[in-house]
Amino acid sequence: MNPLALSLILTTLLAGTLITMMSSHWLTAWMGLEMNMLTMIPILMKTTNPRSTEAATKYFMTQAMASMMLMMALTINLMYSGQWSITKMTNPVASNMALMALMTKLGSAPFHFWVPEVTQGVELTPGMILLTWQKLAPLSLLYQMATYTNTNLIYLSGLLSILIGGWGGLNQTQLRKILAYSSISHMGWMLIILPFNPTLTLLNLTIYIMLTLSIFMILTNTFTTSMSSLTLMWNKTPAMTIMLMTTLLSLGGLPPLSGFMPKWLMIHELTKNNSIIMPLTMAIMALLNMYFYMRLIYYSSLTILPSTNNMKMTWRFTNTKHTMTLPTLITLSNMLLPLTPMISMLE
Amino acid sequence: TLTLTSLIILTLPIITTLLQNNKTNCFLYITKTAVTYAFAISLIPTLLFIQSNQEAYISNWHWMTIHTLKLSMSFKLDFFSLTFMPIALFITWSIMEFSLWYMHSDPHINRFFKYLLLFLITMLILVSANNLLQLFMGWEGVGIMSFLLISWWHGRTDANTAALQAMLYNRIGDMGFIMMMAWFTIHLNSWEFQQIFLTNPKNTTLPLLGLLLASAGKSAQFGLHPWLPSAMEGPTPVSALLHSSTMVMAGVFTLIRFYPLMENNLTIQTSTLCLGAITTLFTAICALTQNDIKKIIALSTSSQLGLMMVTIGINQPHLAFIHMCTHAFFKAMLFLSSGSIIHNLNNEQDIRKMGGLYKTMPITSTAIIIGSLALTGMPFLTGFYSKDPIIETANMSYINTWALLITLIAVSMTASYSTRIIFFALLGQPRYPSLAQINENNPYLVNPIKRLILGSIFMGFLISMNTIPHTTPQMTMPPHLKFMALAVTLLGFTVATELNNMTHNLMFKQPSRMHTFSTMLGYYPTTIHRILPYLSLTMSQNLATTIMDSIWLEKMIPKNLTTMQKTAASLVSNQKGLMKLYFLSFLLSITLGLLIAL
Repeated sequence: MNPLALSLILTTLLAGTLITMMSSHWLTAWMGLEMNMLTMIPILMKTTNPRSTEAATKYFMTQAMASMMLMMALTINLMYSGQWSITKMTNPVASNMALMALMTKLGSAPFHFWVPEVTQGVELTPGMILLTWQKLAPLSLLYQMATYTNTNLIYLSGLLSILIGGWGGLNQTQLRKILAYSSISHMGWMLIILPFNPTLTLLNLTIYIMLTLSIFMILTNTFTTSMSSLTLMWNKTPAMTIMLMTTLLSLGGLPPLSGFMPKWLMIHELTKNNSIIMPLTMAIMALLNMYFYMRLIYYSSLTILPSTNNMKMTWRFTNTKHTMTLPTLITLSNMLLPLTPMISMLE
Repeated sequence: TLTLTSLIILTLPIITTLLQNNKTNCFLYITKTAVTYAFAISLIPTLLFIQSNQEAYISNWHWMTIHTLKLSMSFKLDFFSLTFMPIALFITWSIMEFSLWYMHSDPHINRFFKYLLLFLITMLILVSANNLLQLFMGWEGVGIMSFLLISWWHGRTDANTAALQAMLYNRIGDMGFIMMMAWFTIHLNSWEFQQIFLTNPKNTTLPLLGLLLASAGKSAQFGLHPWLPSAMEGPTPVSALLHSSTMVMAGVFTLIRFYPLMENNLTIQTSTLCLGAITTLFTAICALTQNDIKKIIALSTSSQLGLMMVTIGINQPHLAFIHMCTHAFFKAMLFLSSGSIIHNLNNEQDIRKMGGLYKTMPITSTAIIIGSLALTGMPFLTGFYSKDPIIETANMSYINTWALLITLIAVSMTASYSTRIIFFALLGQPRYPSLAQINENNPYLVNPIKRLILGSIFMGFLISMNTIPHTTPQMTMPPHLKFMALAVTLLGFTVATELNNMTHNLMFKQPSRMHTFSTMLGYYPTTIHRILPYLSLTMSQNLATTIMDSIWLEKMIPKNLTTMQKTAASLVSNQKGLMKLYFLSFLLSITLGLLIAL
């Protein structure tokens, strides 16, 4: 893409999210969300095949609908309370409608249908941006307005997200769809803890972004998009294969790795607040996620599928992809658990 | 003196078994004379008791103490045991002498006598026990000896299955016995009869139910009765000893022992009454059409046992005891004479193939006739002194009329089947092959039968005159009730004679339904013996393989989980790409969400 256009688009993307995060007036927040959505479209359509176009169209329609609903919620709020502050949406209709609009933007159930399709239809890098950067703006809005919403809706949506994220990913062989469902599931975890301790939402978001970025970058570097190409990764970049394994385990929430930290703290927080069944169900459903990560690990690192002897000795071409931030990210996403006491920094 | 004499009685047979010389011929005679002397000696305490009416309890050897339960070897010599022991010894003496003739050609006759002696010893232990542990030892002992003796000819499968049947049915009864023992240990902390009767607990239904179950198993009451007709697979002396006079009496004896507790518990009395009534009628019906002479007599034993249960049920244990003693005499004699017939006709047991023995075997036929008359309660023979008071008391007491009617019907049937035996075995023309050598020359055959004839005639009078009645007998009753027993008996006699005479003239068509019911023993063995094992075995197999292995270990969690997850996964990820549908779902969700939120 033309580098000027690319830089304009990327700055607009950055600006949109920043405007949303920094605003205290609903209209500017909405404006930032709209900017985000509009600049995302060309990013999604970077490759010009019809599949990307279709993905971009779906993305546009869903997000537009969500923005419309958000606008309606704002109008109702204005009608009933006469003010535009984000943290004081006291009318239940308005706040719940806004909640649902934001959930659609995030891609949590029952509004999740667009996530796998859009993620699958685009290349890995736009998909990465879609699943990581686009979560920041809506979550920052949610962080501020969640106190006046109906918590039942949040729990319902969260649990449903975790379930759907778990079950949906079981049936997939395409890596982008797997990561989409994993994003849905993590959104579920983030939503549930929102009424209890929003700090943990942010912590989960941070760690999730780190992990997803690592995975996407590993996948981009090795050009793998489906499970069958995963099986050939051991030959080309053995180090990255092992890193993929540990990062996936961390994404699943396995203890000595940093992905365990948000899950652990969340369950702790939930049990402190006397709800036992919900964290139990959540933890059990996280196992579904773990299963398909294990499947990926199994096929990439733990086993070598039968192949001819030619394939064991490939040409090593120079790597044209930038792997600049990858080592940092991988280290962060695997080894962060001992730094758990530092989350007080986020409060 | 009483103590010493009674202990000597018991030790005499024991000493005999200690001399285990199976080689010599003398063992048999030693055993027989030992039992004779034991009988003679046992008369001494009995006479002393009759004279002084003193009961004695001997408690000598301290066995063990378990926590607070002191177990010792103690013997109770009261009216029941002191009367029963001489009778048991007398009958055993006669039977041992008889089996010298009957089992003459058997190579293991020494072992046979040893078994008979062991049985006698355990029976005496049972009768004279003062605590439940000793009684249980005797109980189990007679059970085991009955098993060994029924399967005496163990090459025959029918004998083995009959012995197993006896053992199993007894075992079911033993469960009730153990329940009773446990209850007494828990609630009264003792197994001694004195303590049980003194404390007289209030809620005795449970242990007495256990006792009833035990007696039903041992004495072949309805529900646990098939083993008694099957037990006729054993040799005739075994049938005579065990299954007519002694072992089957053990159950009734124990019930009689517990009469102080049963006096107070009307539920148990009613259940005993009904159980006895059903037994007596059912087995009498079955005995009407049997063709094996020993089975008829066995079912007759069962019927008389039912009658004894009925007597206990109307709260007359002493009458039941007297009937027990008198019944021992004539039943043993009936068995012995049937044994003589069988051996003389070369092991022919089917009454359809006997006949005309009235002239050729005078002593045996006299014995059968006297025995049958005594059984049916002919006035002034033995049975009269026990059976008639039972019927009279039953008529005059406030009991279940249904049970009473059934008992009366069974009494008339007693006469019928006795007539059947007499008619087919003794009267008419001979139906056996003509090469049978019939003689009654052997004194070992004749003397026991003669002794038992004398006993059948006179013992009833002697026993009833020498006992002090514990309850006042009914003195006045309307004449039609007084004659009821006699009348139904005569009715039974005449009807049976008429019917049996008719068989000379009629052709035998297809047997009617009632006839088959009666011949097949009421279909009880055929149904229960197959159904119960089948059900329990299939249930356990299903439990083990299907439920445990297949369902619980395989299907319950692993397979169910996999199918559930697979279905869920395919459901969730199976999205059509149609945006309209997605938006529709969004609309629905939003509507629902707003409804929830409001």
